[in-house]
Amino acid sequence: MTRYLISVLAVAVFLSGCEPQPGAEELYDQLVVETNFDPAINFNAYTTYSISRDTIGKVSNIRGDDSLIVGNTYARPVAEAVINNLDERGFIRVDRNDDPDLAINVFIVRNLDIQQQLNYPGYYGYPGYYYPGYYGYGSYYYPYVSTYVYNTEVLVIEMIDLKNVVNNQVKVIWNAYLGDVYSAIDARVQSVEGIGQAFRQSPYIQKIAQP
Amino acid sequence: MKVMKVIVGISLFVMSFTIVHGQDFDKVIHISWDVNMPLSNREWIDETSARGLKAGYHRLIEDKFLAGIELGWATYDKYQPTVTFEYPGGAFTTDYFNYLYSYGLTVSGGYVLPVGKKEKILPYAGLGLGASLHRYTRYYNIYQDMESSWGFLVSPKVGAIIPFGRKIGAMAAVHYDFSTSKQEAIGYNNFSNIGVQVGIVMLSY
Repeated sequence: MTRYLISVLAVAVFLSGCEPQPGAEELYDQLVVETNFDPAINFNAYTTYSISRDTIGKVSNIRGDDSLIVGNTYARPVAEAVINNLDERGFIRVDRNDDPDLAINVFIVRNLDIQQQLNYPGYYGYPGYYYPGYYGYGSYYYPYVSTYVYNTEVLVIEMIDLKNVVNNQVKVIWNAYLGDVYSAIDARVQSVEGIGQAFRQSPYIQKIAQP
Repeated sequence: MKVMKVIVGISLFVMSFTIVHGQDFDKVIHISWDVNMPLSNREWIDETSARGLKAGYHRLIEDKFLAGIELGWATYDKYQPTVTFEYPGGAFTTDYFNYLYSYGLTVSGGYVLPVGKKEKILPYAGLGLGASLHRYTRYYNIYQDMESSWGFLVSPKVGAIIPFGRKIGAMAAVHYDFSTSKQEAIGYNNFSNIGVQVGIVMLSY
């Protein structure tokens, strides 16, 4: 009897320790999309923007792993998704040398928890923070990383105000975090869909034509 | 609910055809499959769970009373389709899964009626008192939020033991569990559920 008791209770304890979780295919079939904006900004005040069409940045906490992602596999579809959404909302894409009102910064943060690990000079944790500049517009640097999180990739889109540069600092007025790209079942398709969602949940990004 | 109806049906079917011996054992171990329906905060989870287990050890005291301990485990889950949460300064879109992991440990007593050597089915009513642990977890993509809370657990039960061999038998019971486990952040002031369990018993003399 004691043997039975021990056996049954052992099974019970074993099973009660099980905590089943959702399957990977169910969890990773769409990206989580978070957007933030500076409530003080009137997005209608901007008209033009610049963005790299076939290159996005990659920021990593692995030393020497920072790089650029280029090509048609991922970078171009992602950049074009951003471009298409902005164009649909009435903004005009121009070359970076044509004095755009906005710069669109797109990059992947690898192995980082986006909630904690990005470090910007003058970063306050929400849109409205300042960079010391933007590439081509002062001393811009990609954000650097101080917190290590294993095997995650978050797609970040930032909208940077180049129209109101103060003391050679530019301001991020909107951003979007899409994750996790690393675990995505189809990173390209899910990123493009996620970008569409980022703009759908940001209806204030709209250029209203002036009469 | 369909699952619970099937379980009750199977239990009654088993009861009606079982050839049993009389009750002359003095110790009972049971392990049973437990199907539960949550009753609290059904906005967070409302789906019946077939992922549950109960196991216990009881001794017969003075022919009519059982006393012992029982362990319980159950997992509830619910899928929430894609939704956008808006807040000042931003928005957040995801689909997600709510999971609730429930554990209970009770000291329990039961009253067996009738108790006689020739009875084929031994119905009983019991009450368990103890502690529960509830772990409320939300999974979305690679991320998860988890909150845990302990509570005092009260668990009345009615059921039957059906011996069909000298040392083995079946059991079926309906139980109600109420725990003071509280997680106000997601709308739980307590947690309660109703469940049906069917399983096997091992008898000792």
